[in-house]
Amino acid sequence: MTLAADREVALVDLLDRLLAGGVVISGDITISLADVDLVHVSLRALISSVSTLVEP
Amino acid sequence: MADALVYLYAVTDADAAEPAAPGGVDDAPVRRVVAGALAAVVSSVDAVRFGEEALQRSLEDLQWLERAARAHHEVVAAAAESGPVAPVRLATVYHDDQSVRALLHERAADFRAALDRVRGRVEWGVKAFAAPTADDTADAGAAPGSGDGSARPGTSYLLRRRAERDRAGTRLEAATAAAEALHRELTDLAVANRRYEPQDPRLSGHREPMVLNAAYLVDEVGGDALRELVATRADGPLQLELTGPWAPYSFAALEDS
Amino acid sequence: MTRVPERLELDPDAVGRDLGRLVLTIVELVRQLMERQAIRRVEAGDLPDETVERLGLGLMRLDEAMTELREHFGLRAEDLNIDLGPLGSLLPRQPDG
Repeated sequence: MTLAADREVALVDLLDRLLAGGVVISGDITISLADVDLVHVSLRALISSVSTLVEP
Repeated sequence: MADALVYLYAVTDADAAEPAAPGGVDDAPVRRVVAGALAAVVSSVDAVRFGEEALQRSLEDLQWLERAARAHHEVVAAAAESGPVAPVRLATVYHDDQSVRALLHERAADFRAALDRVRGRVEWGVKAFAAPTADDTADAGAAPGSGDGSARPGTSYLLRRRAERDRAGTRLEAATAAAEALHRELTDLAVANRRYEPQDPRLSGHREPMVLNAAYLVDEVGGDALRELVATRADGPLQLELTGPWAPYSFAALEDS
Repeated sequence: MTRVPERLELDPDAVGRDLGRLVLTIVELVRQLMERQAIRRVEAGDLPDETVERLGLGLMRLDEAMTELREHFGLRAEDLNIDLGPLGSLLPRQPDG
């Protein structure tokens, strides 16, 4: 059986298989205007505060 | 090369052919380290870029992660063309070839068992989502405060919203139950199975909730039966996605010590 | 494939809409949370009828206001879900409507 080794493979499916414990990525957004960075938002802080609002 | 580390992709039988991989992680050439009846498929990589700290940061960079994961996958798939493969998780790095040989000696029995487990078998992935319904986007149709001419429009609104949520909840329950039933049937067809967490909808590209994310190890007959079963469930409370055939990532990966 | 956005680059010509989108996404999240909580209270049955009515009216008007605001900025409901990269969207991907 030939095994698929091409770009049809979705990254998310690859990551399920290749990473133990899943993807942990911290991201930060810098909001900029006219090349001037104006606001830096730490997503971790934002997400954790939002998720405590949302009850299961 | 003093400043190189060794990146491990997978372990195979020593008598398997060299994998015809164009290039591996970081575009490094792919080669093998043989010890006894086993061979490790590896690349030499830059010690600084693949040292523990740099690697940790790289794993957090999604663009790097994507390139590395795809390169890793191509090497594993190429190796799988020549026989059974025990794939190793991403970013498994050793100090040198000697360490890799030591690994093959120390864990020889585990690797042999893994290779025997996957010999002649492949992995298929099955993902299930709650099937979309017209209802999901129909809320726009209920004009706010609309037309039952109710004397208590506010209360009607709340009751309507509650009913919508309840319906959606019921659909989710039905989908979940159907997914569990399907998983049991697929498990019966397969040699082994493994479940993953539902994928983040942002990554999976689906709006509807994912209710099954699993991998099944099958031989050829089992594979045919699996695909047929998935095809027969195409209409119903579930939306199904089949991926594969994969090298047996979910069934042979070893934790590194 | 989503890439980690390092910059949310506001276009000076469309900055109103971009900021509007950011703000509306947060307001929409709060609106959904409020609605969910209100339904819970109604189900618990510990609110007098008049209170339920006023609560419902308020939420209904909030929903209408959100629709108007969205339309004003030329946004659909799906747009109010800022792509935070692999961390996911702000809004819960649930049957909330």
